[in-house]
Amino acid sequence: MSTLHLVRQSAFSRNDFEQCISVLAEQDSLVLMDDGCYNLKHPLMASLLKKDNNKVSIKVISTHAQARAVEVMAGISQITMADVVELTFNHNKVITWQ
Amino acid sequence: MNTLAVVVTTPPYSHLTITALTYVEAALVAGIDVVGVFFYQDGAMHANKDISIASDEYQSIAHWQQLHQQYKLPLHVCITAAEKRGVVMGSIDNEIVNEAFTVSGLGELVELATKASRLVQF
Amino acid sequence: MTSIMQSETQPQLTDASTALGVAIINSKAPFSSNAGKDALDVALLFGSFEQKVSLFFQGDGVYQLIANQDGSLLAIKDYLKTFSAFEFYDIEDVYVCQQSLIERQLSKTFHIDNVQVLTNKAFAVALSKHKHVLRF
Repeated sequence: MSTLHLVRQSAFSRNDFEQCISVLAEQDSLVLMDDGCYNLKHPLMASLLKKDNNKVSIKVISTHAQARAVEVMAGISQITMADVVELTFNHNKVITWQ
Repeated sequence: MNTLAVVVTTPPYSHLTITALTYVEAALVAGIDVVGVFFYQDGAMHANKDISIASDEYQSIAHWQQLHQQYKLPLHVCITAAEKRGVVMGSIDNEIVNEAFTVSGLGELVELATKASRLVQF
Repeated sequence: MTSIMQSETQPQLTDASTALGVAIINSKAPFSSNAGKDALDVALLFGSFEQKVSLFFQGDGVYQLIANQDGSLLAIKDYLKTFSAFEFYDIEDVYVCQQSLIERQLSKTFHIDNVQVLTNKAFAVALSKHKHVLRF
């Protein structure tokens, strides 16, 4: 059972992203959108990426990051909204963290 | 068959709503059967036809209307959420309600959730 | 045969086709916003349509379950009292995030019975068993 997580808030002001991370499972995917893009530079993201056993796929909507002048590191895939629609059906369910 | 139901909880003037619209439009373009959009909480404000958004700002209500017309996308507004925001007064065919929207109870959300293989909240 | 026996003793819903009902995550404290009441209305509606609905409390949402609160002091109609009606709506599964309780120095004293306190891992597993998830 995989879950697609849509993260829409900055972890610098709210703890939605932290709560999301606490329920992440191996086959899940994480999509950063809206102010969720700022989480690319949050310490929580750094520690998530550092985890040896991290199998969660992390993506960001490219226009949302670009609009905010957020640099997207290597290893984070940049996607479109059409990709989010496809991911919706590649996973068993969607949870929106906003 | 991939079926999708969407819940919108953000108001028409929120930039978060643009993301919801972009997503729903992308789903429709991809040929996904979107069984309906349910407007709840501040999302209910979309159904207020008297809302006027400055012309240089994003026209989310007009955009929902366009998807409704182009794709016959069902737009449901929660009656209790609408009433407390002054959108519905007394009768459900009140003039305040934008005609693209159907005034529904929360039972409609249950119905959409049952019909759809995925439920996505914005 | 063995697989049937296993599934009876240890129900583990890991297949998409067996996922049931709706999970509602409560993430907001009870009084300053209307989110808890909005979530409750949705939960009760799903319940009254005989749809399986489970409630999850995480982050500040755990404050909705804490005993000895009194919304009437704030002139708020205390919707938390309605939680005691969950059984009439067949809402049997109420889960609370243990880590959120610990962070807030809260004890496991709730104003309703049958609340299950879960570790992050168990909380995630319980969540994954549902077809849809809404979060308020």
